[in-house]
This record gives sequence, structure tokens and C-alpha cells, in this order.
Amino acid sequence: MFLNISRPIRWQVAAPVVSLAALASMPMVVVAGTSNDGVLETRGFVENATFYRDDVGLSKARNTVQYEFSKHLNTSGRFVDVSISGTIRGSYDAVYDLNDDQFGANSGRPVSFRAPGNPAFFDTLVKSSGGPGAPFVPTTNPVFAGTFGPAAAGADGAIPLPGVPMGTINSPNNPNIGLELVGDDAHDFEKGGVMLAYPTRPCNIDSRGCLDDYLDFDESELKYPEFNDKADVIRELYLDATLPSDGGREIGFRVGRQQVVWGRTDLFRVLDVINPVDFSRHNIFDELEDIRYPMGMLNAEYRMGATERFDDLNLQFLWKFEEFRPHNLGQGGQPYSILGAGNFFRAMGNCWENGCTVGNFPATGLAVDFPKHSLGIRDVDIPNDRDEFGVRLEGLYKGVGFSLNAARYYSQLPSLRGGVEADNPFTPATESRFFPYNLAFDIAFPTVYLLGGSADLYSEKIKSAFRLELAYTTGEEFPNTLEERLFSESDVIRWVVGWDRPTFIPFINKKRAVLVSAQLFGQHLLDHELQNVNPQGLPAVGSVGMPDWKNNYIATLLLQANFKNDRLTPQLLTAYDFKADSGAFAPSISWKPSNNWVFNLGLNLKFGDGAKAFDDNRSANPFPPFTCAPPVVAAAPAACGSAFGSLGVGGFEPIGRFRAGPFGNAINEDEIQFTVRYQF
Amino acid sequence: MKLLLSFALIAVIMVYVTPVTAGPVSEDDIQNSFYPYKSGFPSFGGYEPGVVVNQGNVEQFKDVLDKALYRFVKDGWVEIKTAPTTDFPLSENYIQATRDNAAGVSLNENGTLDGYVAGRAFPIEPDISDPLAGQKLVWNYQYGFNSGDSETIFPFWWTFRNIKTGKVERVLKFEWHFMNYSHRVSFDPTPKFEKNPSKIYRGIYSIVTEPFDLANTQLLIHRYEDDTKRDDAWLYLGFQRRVRRLATGNITDAFLGTDLMIEDFEGYNGRVTDYNWEYGGTRDLLLPFYYHNDMELATEPANDPDGYRFVQVHGKGNCFPNVTYQLRKTYTLIGTPKDTNHPIGKRVINLDAQTSTMASLITYDRKGDLWKWFPIGKAHPDHHDPKNKGSGVALDDYAVLIDVQADHCTTLQFKSIISDEDNQPNLFTVQNLRKAGK
Repeated sequence: MFLNISRPIRWQVAAPVVSLAALASMPMVVVAGTSNDGVLETRGFVENATFYRDDVGLSKARNTVQYEFSKHLNTSGRFVDVSISGTIRGSYDAVYDLNDDQFGANSGRPVSFRAPGNPAFFDTLVKSSGGPGAPFVPTTNPVFAGTFGPAAAGADGAIPLPGVPMGTINSPNNPNIGLELVGDDAHDFEKGGVMLAYPTRPCNIDSRGCLDDYLDFDESELKYPEFNDKADVIRELYLDATLPSDGGREIGFRVGRQQVVWGRTDLFRVLDVINPVDFSRHNIFDELEDIRYPMGMLNAEYRMGATERFDDLNLQFLWKFEEFRPHNLGQGGQPYSILGAGNFFRAMGNCWENGCTVGNFPATGLAVDFPKHSLGIRDVDIPNDRDEFGVRLEGLYKGVGFSLNAARYYSQLPSLRGGVEADNPFTPATESRFFPYNLAFDIAFPTVYLLGGSADLYSEKIKSAFRLELAYTTGEEFPNTLEERLFSESDVIRWVVGWDRPTFIPFINKKRAVLVSAQLFGQHLLDHELQNVNPQGLPAVGSVGMPDWKNNYIATLLLQANFKNDRLTPQLLTAYDFKADSGAFAPSISWKPSNNWVFNLGLNLKFGDGAKAFDDNRSANPFPPFTCAPPVVAAAPAACGSAFGSLGVGGFEPIGRFRAGPFGNAINEDEIQFTVRYQF
Repeated sequence: MKLLLSFALIAVIMVYVTPVTAGPVSEDDIQNSFYPYKSGFPSFGGYEPGVVVNQGNVEQFKDVLDKALYRFVKDGWVEIKTAPTTDFPLSENYIQATRDNAAGVSLNENGTLDGYVAGRAFPIEPDISDPLAGQKLVWNYQYGFNSGDSETIFPFWWTFRNIKTGKVERVLKFEWHFMNYSHRVSFDPTPKFEKNPSKIYRGIYSIVTEPFDLANTQLLIHRYEDDTKRDDAWLYLGFQRRVRRLATGNITDAFLGTDLMIEDFEGYNGRVTDYNWEYGGTRDLLLPFYYHNDMELATEPANDPDGYRFVQVHGKGNCFPNVTYQLRKTYTLIGTPKDTNHPIGKRVINLDAQTSTMASLITYDRKGDLWKWFPIGKAHPDHHDPKNKGSGVALDDYAVLIDVQADHCTTLQFKSIISDEDNQPNLFTVQNLRKAGK
């Protein structure tokens, strides 16, 4: 898995230089340090992060300015320690200009599907459905049987289902340009998985598949992600105040946009559920501090201090008053789209909105045009009730830190809820009704209840610190092809054990310990469903049910050494998803020549199986009798008259991604990464 | 000979298995311990306060320089300005606590203390023939009055310097707080805080203010009454926004890249029972004890609201304090780690007799070669920031850890304030790390 850097890299190399020069030319109207009266503290940095991806070229050329301040306020009332703090961040990712044929205004291409079976299948379909007859003769060209072809061409080879107006889905609004195949960056389609195309260009340039208020970024929002209608440029802004009470107790308040960290883990989260995360910045690999979306919250703490039994005890209450915000998974066409979810969503959004061609559907070697409003993602339901709450009791007992956590919140991951009213693509009529097992969804963010706890402790015997977290949730929703609406709830238990041990490894460094930090995460879906018969009892050719693993484990390992008084820091980060059989390997080295400059050079390599296949619902019968699978037609034709669930025919797409996880889906995103920061 | 050794061994074993009490402590013992210069200041042949010790005359003063300092002067790294010896009396409260409690203190079979309440545990002059003299001295240091009951150091600058080039590589700016939960003599409540279920003896809290990549990093250490119990420690990482439990077992690890091990803090920051301690005799040494306000001061910190300035640096690599040294009575305390894998061969601590503070530390590696030198400059509280006047604490004012094997040093410049204004138990909680974290 070697990085190919033989492509022309003139602009890529120039990017950080140009960017830093631009930043350096900015008037530095701000200063860093502490004011003479000690009440105002300020600091910040400018940074360029340039990442280069194998076979893709530049994947990031982000230039960031961040400025932090904290000002103590004089008060004469009952409150003490009153201060106002904030973090301002603005960035410009030049990748959308410097590599715009990959990630920007000129990205994407015309797509095509191999569909040698179309002519025969077309005839069968027309005859069996008693349709009006073939509107045209499908091409027999096995290479280009694509869709979105020029309207003037009329037939393009995909089978136009009867519900498709004019027999094709061609329209000026849905041209065959600026597209990529969902999952094409992670796998090929030799296993015959479903092929969907998604628009790649920013939503102001190509609005196809852009869902209202969810993953619908225009070019400027991609280039300047903090300058949006959420005012992310004001990353944090909050007021602190403390109300002293008897016996050294106090009630503390932090009100405003802030980060609240409940967890004790790195990379993955178990209890750290309060703030949503921007995975579009760099998948899971950036520090959570940099990718959490700070939220407007009331954070009240009753700090009891030491009691008769506890060395420290604190009760925290949280109320999120800022409108709910989900994770940013990266929209179709961005360099980082965790799980490839954003690409899939955008493809499905376009299917609903404009109709689409689906390759390898309903069987390998076929391609079918679905009309609009028959499948896809119709709408996004973003909660706006501002009713997310959390409570945490934490303390210290005999040297063991602990917390008990409870929260009511909205899932920051989307749930695809089937069951929306759709049209039968095999009929010209507009039914607008629920078709069981149809791939027509709304995106929802269900209410989740969490109970959990955490602990940290130290073992002298093995000179190690341990971190433990456990969370039990109800209300989470998962894809499930056994269900008529193609999703179901499951209670979930997640846990993590973290182990930290500074260890002297003499051949590395005799005078400075190497930090060895390992974590093992577990996730268990308590209501997991997976079986080899479909919901109606028909035998399935593969597993049917929930693509997420019933029990899965992810391990991480960090080795960090330090040399030259911690100014030279090599580290190796690796993570492995056991069920996905995929992982990441990220060596890096950091150099701090002074207080002001920090250079970091790293590799981010993925390894393992990559994509995973799963039931793709092709073999379900949502539009009886048209979609009845041939084996059922042959063996039990009466069953074809009613909707039935999937028979387990599967491929990588569309929901194998839930099995492949964040590493498997990013299997081809090997990168070399260079970051330079000037901090002040 | 074997018989003699056997008797000696039996004697040592009996001493260790039988609790050793301090026995009666007379007022003379108290006076001798806390006012060693009552009957006159030390002298040394040919030495006159005011003399500058340099490469040219260092041999003459070899016996009043610790081995490392002798080497540095001999090699021309630094010249030592001297001044008359001055009294550094400790707080009368601490002395009175010694009067009240010392007789009840005993060393138990674990090498820890029974009956200790407050004050100096063993004020009686150490006896070279006493096999436990080193053990007693280290307890005097451990329960010394180095930071009083409560101390704040802010600003506190740690500067990484290349000795050869003098280049400043990095400056870490801190705020540090120390507070005793028990054995308190000056600030209420005395002698201890009642709500202390885990019997914490001492809390140490620090926060980094600069540079950016470490800003908001906070360290909290709980040291327990039970010396055999390992400290608990937590680190709040500003770049992670969360508290991380520290594995405190490896206290020989460098702290945030400085030349100091965590075990080096204040001279020795580990468990007493992790080392074998030996008394190496009494010597008069030139030590950096001085009146801060009379020294040549730096221009930093430029924005201190009280106008306070650090003492100036000079010498090779700007590693040395440009202060006056004075001839003072010291006890040599030699610590040898019990752990055979410990990177240190031995610590030689020169304890200032009057204050029981570490005046200088010389660390040898396992091969016996000189590794590090760590003097702590002590400022008289009445000639420092006005807030310290009358506190009776010899103030930490400047320190440097010179790693002679790496040609590197970390200088520590302090503004120490003896106060309980900020130092209450709530500051030394894990929750406070989250509260202060931005």
C-alpha cells in the first residue's frame, strides 16, 4: 500500500507556502498573552494542514486562524469567579480550489453501468407486467448502459420502468455529469453490489441530492466551514460564574456555546455524547476538541467538594438550549465522508428528487431507471424542541474517580426510516402511499436515553492507569431489512477499557518513558436481528436483518515517545475494527523548535478487508408483483402477490458500509499529511 | 569480623523492628535545630563574605562547594558571588508545633512515622553513629516548611536552555499551588481539614498558561498521609478537554519535557520508603540563600501587577542564578533507590540545617557518573514580595536543573507567595480541573 506521489504536485506543494504567505500577510490586530491587570488572557495560532491522498492528490489544504480569550469580570454581587471566554476559529480549505476536479466545482464525471442483461430482462418485464410495450430497444452495448444520458438521446440503455415519465429519467435537471458511484472509492463492484451515482459538486453548483438543512453545503461553506448560518466562527462563547455556598460548597454556572466532555476516551466515544462531531474534517482522526461542535448550553454544577465519604463530589445538570445539531458525516463529494454515508445519502436524495438509475439491479448485469418519488430519501426531520438534558454525578472515592451519567438527547447519527409515501415505479399512477420494504426513507434523529458510568483508577502493581466507561442506551435505531420500514430500535451497551502506562523502553529512550495507551471498545446491540429466512418465512440466500454487528470490538494503541525535551515527538497510532477486519496505522513525528512553531509530518494508512457486503434489499418485493424475485415466481408464485421482505441477496452497497465501519470504508484513503502551526 | 558484622546487622534489624521514638526534646534541641547561628555564623579558612569564587580561586574553596558547583566553577561555567550568612528563621508556629509534638514522634518498622502531628519530626542534631539518622532527616525534609502550609507560585517560568549555545528552546509558564491538608500550623484550620476521608496530606495543583500547545494543561497530585501509598495524579489536557488519570508509578519520567523528573520536584518528590536514606555528615556549604530584593533582577515578568521581577540569570547557557551565596550549615543526605531498575544511582541532597529545605541536589546515574545538579535558591520572606513578610518560610526563588550529560538545563524562576487566599480544598479537586479548563 504505497503512496503514489508521482502525479504532478506543483500546486499541491505550493499550497502550504501560498497559504502561509497569505496568513502571514494578514494584519495581526490581536495580541497574545495576559493583560497588565491580569484579567484578560489571549492566545491563538495560524495553521496550514496539507494532506495528500494516494491516487487522488490533494485532499486537504486547510488554513486556520484560531483565537482564544478569557476575561475575568469584576462583580459586586453574590457571584464570584465571573468570566467570559471564547474561541474564534476561521478556516479556508484550499483543496476546493487547488484540486477542484476531485473535490469541488469541477469534480465528478459521467457514470455508466455495465448492463448486458438488460435487453432480455426488458422483454420479460414488459411481458410479465402486461405493460404498454417497449418504448425503445435497450442498448446491447455492455460497456455503456448508463443513465443520465443526454435528453436528446432518449434511450440510454437502462430499463425505464413504466412510472418513468417519457420512458427515461433524463432531464435538464439531472444530467450525467458531476457524478461518482457510491462506494467506488472503497471497492469495485465485482460482487455485483448495487450501483448508485451521487452528485459530487457543492450544493450551490449542483443541488441534486442536497437534503434541506442536512449535508447541503455550498462551495463557500465547504471552503470556509466556520462561516455558515450556525456562526461556527464563534466556536465557543460562554459566561462562567460561581455562587459560593456554605462549607466551601459552590454552585457553578457555565452558560453559552461550549464543549462538555463526559468521556475518558480517545478517538471513539462512549459517554461523550453531549456535543455532535464534525467527521468531515478528518474522519475520526482529529482531536475531538477540534471537531466537536460546541453547543449553546446551560451547564450548572453543584460542587460539594470533600464530604464525609467522598474526597470530591459534584452534581452536574445540562440543558442544551441551542437547536439540535447532528454529526457532520461529510456530504457527497467532500474529501472525508465517514462510512461513505454522505455519498449514499446524496445519491438517495437525488433518487427521490429526480429519479435515478440503479446498476446491478434487480440483479447483476442489469440497470434500471427508477422514477422520482419511488425510492430514495425524501426528507430530513431535524428536531427543534430544545429538550436535550443531561445529569452527571461524579466524584472521587478512595482514589477512584467515578461518574454516573444520564442523558436524554437526540441521536446525532441519522436514522433512515422507511415507510414514507412513495409511488410505484411500475405504474404510471401517482399512488403516494406506503409500500412495505420499499427503499424510500426520511432521515430522523430519534430520541435516545442514556444511562452510564465511568471510572478511572491506578494500579501500583502494574504501574498503570485504567479508564472505564459503560453506557446503556435505548431508542437508537438501526437499519433492519426484516422490518417493513427497514429499521428497528435496539438497546445498546457500549463500553471501553483504556490502559495507560508510561514505560521506559531503553532502546528507544533511556531518560524518557514511552506512553503506551491502549483502548478496547465494545458495542453490543441487545435487540439485534439477523436470520436466514425472510420475515415471511421464505428461505433467504444470505443473512437478512441488521447490518450492524451484534457484538463488535475496536482496539486502539498509541505509542508516543519524546526526545529533545519533548520537542521531538514521534508517535504511532493504530486502530483495528475486529469485525470489519480493517484498521488504520498512523505514524507521525512532531517537531517544536520553539514556543511558536510546531511541525507535524504523518502518514495515515488503512489496512484490512475494506468494504463488506450485506443484504441490499434487492430481493424484497415492495411492489408486488413486479418486484417478485424469479425464484419465488418459479417456486411459489402466489407469494408474489404480496409484499415480502428481502431474500438476502447482497453486495457492498448500500448498507454494507455499516459493517465495514470507518476504516473499511476509508480503505483507499491513504494519506501523507503535513501540518505547520505558528502559535502565539 | 563476621561476628562484628552479624552484631551490626542484628542491631540494625532490631532498630528497624522496634519503633524508634524521638525521646525527650529539650529547648536546647529546639534552639539548636531552628537557630543554628545563634552563637555565630559559620566560617571557613580564607573565606570572607563578598569574595567572588571563580576559576582562579576555586581550589581554595573546594570544601565549601558541593561537588557539582565546584566542577562548574572550575570549568569556568559560573562565578559565585558571596555575601554574609543571614538568619532564615522559620515560622514560630512551626517551631512551637515542634516543641509540642516532637517527643511523641517515632519511626515504625515500615520506616514511616507514628505520632506525627506537626512541626519538625526529629529536631535533635543527627548523629553519624545513628543508623536511622538519614531516615529521620528525610522525614524532617518531607514534613518541612518548604512551602509553609500553603503556597502559590505565579508566575512560574520553566525555561529550556541549551548550555552550549545559550539558546532558549522553549518557555513553559505555570501557576502552581501547594496546600497541606494536615500538619498545618499557620493557616486555619490547624492542624488539619476535617473532611478528608482519604487522608490526603498534600495537594499540588498546577496549570500551564503558555505555550499554546500546552496551555490549560493542569496537573493535580494528591499525596497521602500513608507514605507507602502511591500518589494519585490527574492531568487535564487542554487539547483534549478532559481529565486523564496519570500512572504515577513512573515518577522518574521527565515532566513535560523539562530536565526534571517528577521525582525531582522540590528536591525529592517520591515516597520516603522508596529509597534507603543515609546521613552523610554535616558540612558548611556556600548556598544560594539571599534577599531577593537586593539581587540583580531580570526585566521579566514585565507585567507583574506588584512590579515583581525574577532574579537574573547568568553563567554558561544562562543556567545559573545571578545571586549571592552564603555559607550555611548543611546535612548531607544520601538516598539510594530500592528499585534496582531505577535510573538514578543515588541522590545526594544537601539539606539546609536551619530550614530543612533542600539547598542542592546532586544526582548520579547508575554508573556513578554525575548526571544532574539541582540547586534551589532561597529568598528571605521579609525581603521579597511584601505579602510574604513574616511568613517564616524560606521561599523558593530560583532553581535550575542542569543535565551535565545532555548539556541542557531547565531554569525555574518563581514568584512565591505564602498565602491561603486561593488554596482551599476545592482547588485541589478533579472537578476543579474541569472548572478551570477552557
